[in-house]
Amino acid sequence: MTENTAVMAAYGLRKAYGSCMALDGVNMLVRRGDIYGLVGRNGAGKTTIMRMISGQSQPTGGEMELFGASGRNMRPQRQRTGAMIEIPSFSPFLTARENLEYYRLQRGIPGKQTVDEVLEQVDLAEAGKKKFKSFSLGMKQRLGLALALMNHPDFLILDEPINGLDPEGVAEFRQILRSLNRERETTILISSHILSELSNVATRYGFMEQGKIIEEISAEALHDKCRTCLRLEVDDAARAAAVLQTELGTDKFEVLPGNVVQLYDCLDDPKRASYALAQNGVALLAMEQKGADLEAYFLNLIGGGRHA
Amino acid sequence: MLNYIRAEFYKVLRRPYTYITLGVMLVLEGLFASMFAFHNAHSLATPFGGAIVAIVEMGTIGFCMCLLTGDMVFAGQYKNSTLKNEVSFGLSRTRIYLGKLIAQTLLSIVYLAVMMAFFLGLCAVVLPLEPSAGFYTAQKGLTIVGWFLAAGLPLWVAGQAAMCMCLFLVNGEIASSFLYVGIIFMLETVIGLVGLFAGGPVGDVLLTLAGYFPRNMLEIAKEVVGNMTYLGQAWLVGAFWVIVCTAIGLYSFGKKEIK
Repeated sequence: MTENTAVMAAYGLRKAYGSCMALDGVNMLVRRGDIYGLVGRNGAGKTTIMRMISGQSQPTGGEMELFGASGRNMRPQRQRTGAMIEIPSFSPFLTARENLEYYRLQRGIPGKQTVDEVLEQVDLAEAGKKKFKSFSLGMKQRLGLALALMNHPDFLILDEPINGLDPEGVAEFRQILRSLNRERETTILISSHILSELSNVATRYGFMEQGKIIEEISAEALHDKCRTCLRLEVDDAARAAAVLQTELGTDKFEVLPGNVVQLYDCLDDPKRASYALAQNGVALLAMEQKGADLEAYFLNLIGGGRHA
Repeated sequence: MLNYIRAEFYKVLRRPYTYITLGVMLVLEGLFASMFAFHNAHSLATPFGGAIVAIVEMGTIGFCMCLLTGDMVFAGQYKNSTLKNEVSFGLSRTRIYLGKLIAQTLLSIVYLAVMMAFFLGLCAVVLPLEPSAGFYTAQKGLTIVGWFLAAGLPLWVAGQAAMCMCLFLVNGEIASSFLYVGIIFMLETVIGLVGLFAGGPVGDVLLTLAGYFPRNMLEIAKEVVGNMTYLGQAWLVGAFWVIVCTAIGLYSFGKKEIK
């Protein structure tokens, strides 16, 4: 993909609240069709980025583009987006249906049935007549998603959208995101602290730390990096590689600097590998099974020990 | 803009607050009209024309109504954090601000029309239409009320613009209401008092300035009923207040971080 397919791009984006830098030179690229998972600790700047994209906050430096438009021209492009940032907020004295109808009228979205369709989509059809003030957090999240979907957005911005959802709700939510992405080619920017859930949907990740994107990586590349393997430390990596090819008939390995071989085969029977190496005179100095999930990868990236 | 105003009315018409407030006002009007009827039954004989001119004495209620109609339309948008839903969809802040101001103004005009129609209608039913000694005729009474409403309207709209500005300037309806009361009801008195104490040309300027506050203009209007020059002045002052308050409110809202 080229820059032309960029839905949202940030170049050296900065935001300061007094002396505190909430964003410190963020460079970021969300391309059409991405489900972009924004990962970071509390206060890393995830919500600040989303608030800037949606016009709730203005950057103090750097540039941002939305569908190729920047500055004041970004505002009309926001009508192609749907956003659910922080806790969904609605008028407490109106019912779910009335709240959505209010925004439908305000936004000039045609078709009165749109409200019922989105309520159905987020499984709130039954609760449509209930006042927002009596909603549970999960129901509020669903209603927030309904509002974000009402204008059939090309770009969906979701900040912690699965907070408060029950397991069934999480699965339904995942399904909605996938079908929007596949069937309508909706680009999605999503942040979540539930990294296992994020890893189920994201096609690309941006890892944030202290107001910076420290790494952007595709889901495939991350998968490769996190792949489980046998890490073999040997006295002669070249000979070990030859043995693995000839004796075990595998080429699923990587030779790394420092006489280290990463073997992606024989994971269920590591003794086979060690036996073959020993039989062929390769000294095995250390062997360990290695692998990481998104959480471990992120913790490793930011220096470990702290939670996302 | 039309969509925005329509949506605001959709919301306002679904709030019990809207109907309760109107109901309370109509009950109070009913009591007021009944008071004349009660007196008529015992001693006085206040006719329709004599009773309706009492409206002239109640102009300040219009400024109090700005508090309520402003609050009805704004509907706790800072407290409920709902402004983010509007801004994030790409609606311009100017449209949001002006949409609310226009909706508030239209709502207050509807309130004014309903309350006037109810009071005049009730007075017409319960009080004699024939003139009596010492009181205005029905026609004269209606002319006075008509002139007063024409002079009061731009000043009440100015109050509405001030309330809208306060709602956007300050987070929270209570704080906004205090600010509004300070600007519309107290600031003129403070400026006037400072003017009196200061004396000289500075005092004159301050006293003149205090005279151009909407509530003061309306107070003076009671004394100059029928003066068309003053009517024009009221419209000019009202327009000035609307422009200044809207400019301040828009500037502030344009810079505001939406939480």
